[in-house]
Amino acid sequence: MRPVIDIRNVHRIFESEAGCAHILHNVSLAVDPGEFVAITGPSGSGKSTLMNILGCLDKPTAGDYYLQGLNVAELDDDELTEVRALSIGFVFQSFNLLPRLSVIENVMLPLAYTNVPRSQREMRAVHALQAVTLPVDHWDHRISELSGGQMQRVAIARALVNDPPIILADEPTGNLDSATGALVMETFHKLQKRGKTIVLITHDPSIAAEADRAMTIRDGRIHDGAYIPHAPRTLRSAVDSLPMISASTNPPKGVVA
Amino acid sequence: MSARDLIQEALHSLEANKGRSLLTILGIVIGIASVIAMTSLIGGIQNSLVNSLGLNAARMVQIYSSQELTESDIEKLQKLVPQIEQIGIVDSAYTEYKTGDKSYTVMAQGVDSDMLDAVGASKLVAGRTYSQAESQSGSRVALISRNGADQLYGNEQDALGKTIKVSNGEVQIVGVIDGGSDSMGSLTLYMPRETISGLFGDENPSFPSVTALAAEGTDMDELCKTIESKVRAMKDIEEDEYDSVSATSMKSAIDALNSFMGAFSLIMGAVASISLLVGGIGIMNMMLTNVTERIREIGIRRALGASRRDITAQFLAESSALCVTGGLLGVLIGYLLAWGLAMFASGSGILGELGASGQITPSFSIATVLLAFAVSVGIGVIFGFYPARRAAKLDPVECLRYQ
Repeated sequence: MRPVIDIRNVHRIFESEAGCAHILHNVSLAVDPGEFVAITGPSGSGKSTLMNILGCLDKPTAGDYYLQGLNVAELDDDELTEVRALSIGFVFQSFNLLPRLSVIENVMLPLAYTNVPRSQREMRAVHALQAVTLPVDHWDHRISELSGGQMQRVAIARALVNDPPIILADEPTGNLDSATGALVMETFHKLQKRGKTIVLITHDPSIAAEADRAMTIRDGRIHDGAYIPHAPRTLRSAVDSLPMISASTNPPKGVVA
Repeated sequence: MSARDLIQEALHSLEANKGRSLLTILGIVIGIASVIAMTSLIGGIQNSLVNSLGLNAARMVQIYSSQELTESDIEKLQKLVPQIEQIGIVDSAYTEYKTGDKSYTVMAQGVDSDMLDAVGASKLVAGRTYSQAESQSGSRVALISRNGADQLYGNEQDALGKTIKVSNGEVQIVGVIDGGSDSMGSLTLYMPRETISGLFGDENPSFPSVTALAAEGTDMDELCKTIESKVRAMKDIEEDEYDSVSATSMKSAIDALNSFMGAFSLIMGAVASISLLVGGIGIMNMMLTNVTERIREIGIRRALGASRRDITAQFLAESSALCVTGGLLGVLIGYLLAWGLAMFASGSGILGELGASGQITPSFSIATVLLAFAVSVGIGVIFGFYPARRAAKLDPVECLRYQ
């Protein structure tokens, strides 16, 4: 099976006046269709940078990224936008809903960017809201009238509305208590059953344990759990792609043991 | 994103910022309102002047001679100068008219039916004008100005059929006309010349001034010179006798008026464009603030599939909606202002001095409204472009991280 997400030897270096920050080192990973993968790691480990690259919001400084067989490096801004609109659904830690709009308007928002006829938008939003089991009487509410768990389910509905094959979730339970977090996780499991590929970032090992496969990233390197479907082509990259030996003198900060 | 989506989004976000939006568009409102008020008022004054002068005002020549012209002089002049289509003799006489405790000075104008148009007394409001036959027979009929009818009888309809004492006889009012330059305490009545001679008993009148109507397409300046020299020759008046004979056409007066109004419009336009420029900068300022405030929203939209073009379009739609709202408000306020000013000017009689008839109706033209609309959209696009581009160029990752 061909992986939907296939990242090979990716580096991400941010250059600023203060100097260079090497955030991702030679990261390689692949995700098969329908897989539920969790990426864990302490804060500052490069999880979010990796997520931005996976979501085509950012491009790697070096290395290749094949999304559904498409070489992302060759896409221009408009094509990347199209990929984001049609292939990827984002779920954020802080929900990122627009407070000016109602629940259903928030869910319909991505449909305006994919030129879905107005007559079909409401129906599709209703389907998405049903999929995340948000009660009907909440659909006309303002965002501020919802609880955190409800907001996150609205955000998931918004991510679903264009029916993308991939859902990228960045700490979706980070702002929720464990009970509502569990409810949100249940939603992700349901989505996986419907055939979605899910990549979820978390620093909570119990959340990561719910995934098919958990991967740890530390100091910008894949620590363990990476599945690499292709053999390293050079000796150097073979060495680079080896898991880092965690015998360093300073234990990494913020690791939840 | 479809146009309908854009408009909806734009209105949504303006609604969310009502107070600030309203303050920002004030510059546009003032600019457009002043242009609309002035152009419609000027248009109204021009219409009113043209109305009071009559349709054929541009073809009229006023001939004045210190040695009064007799009827035979006039006939001779008409033969000598073939470009003259018609010479109208306007006889006038003054008399007193008393009703109740008020007294009016009545100016009786002797105008034959075929010359009514030329003196600007052809616009009927009520009743009828008098006929050729009535003119020749000297029927005791008269037309009264609307203003006069209002003063004497309360309204136009009630004036019809009333008789009014003039000198040593009576005339019956058969029609009410728009125009006429009545000031307080004086009335103008138009009646056939024969009627005037009957009433005032002047058998062989002579006239210090007559009005000639030139044929269509005549060079008016040339005609005036020709008429002047013919009258001098006829009456044996030397060239150096200053101002003893003159022939002046209304054309130059109308030209002067038009160029004055044109210059006035230009100045108003300049003032308005400064206001619009300032308004536009205000719009740009608000849009820049808007972009900064909504950086996170821009990031979210980009993540959800909005292209750079979508973001540009969204902010352009917003600034255009802002300006169009300002423009429409400006048009509305401009017309209200014009009506208010027109009412004030009509009431105070300022325009009577200018020679216009009492009432001014601000002119309303759909072209002006469309122009105001286009200018507003233009300002929205021009001043909204930079903020919109800036929003579109933002890095989505940075935007999403922005707090």
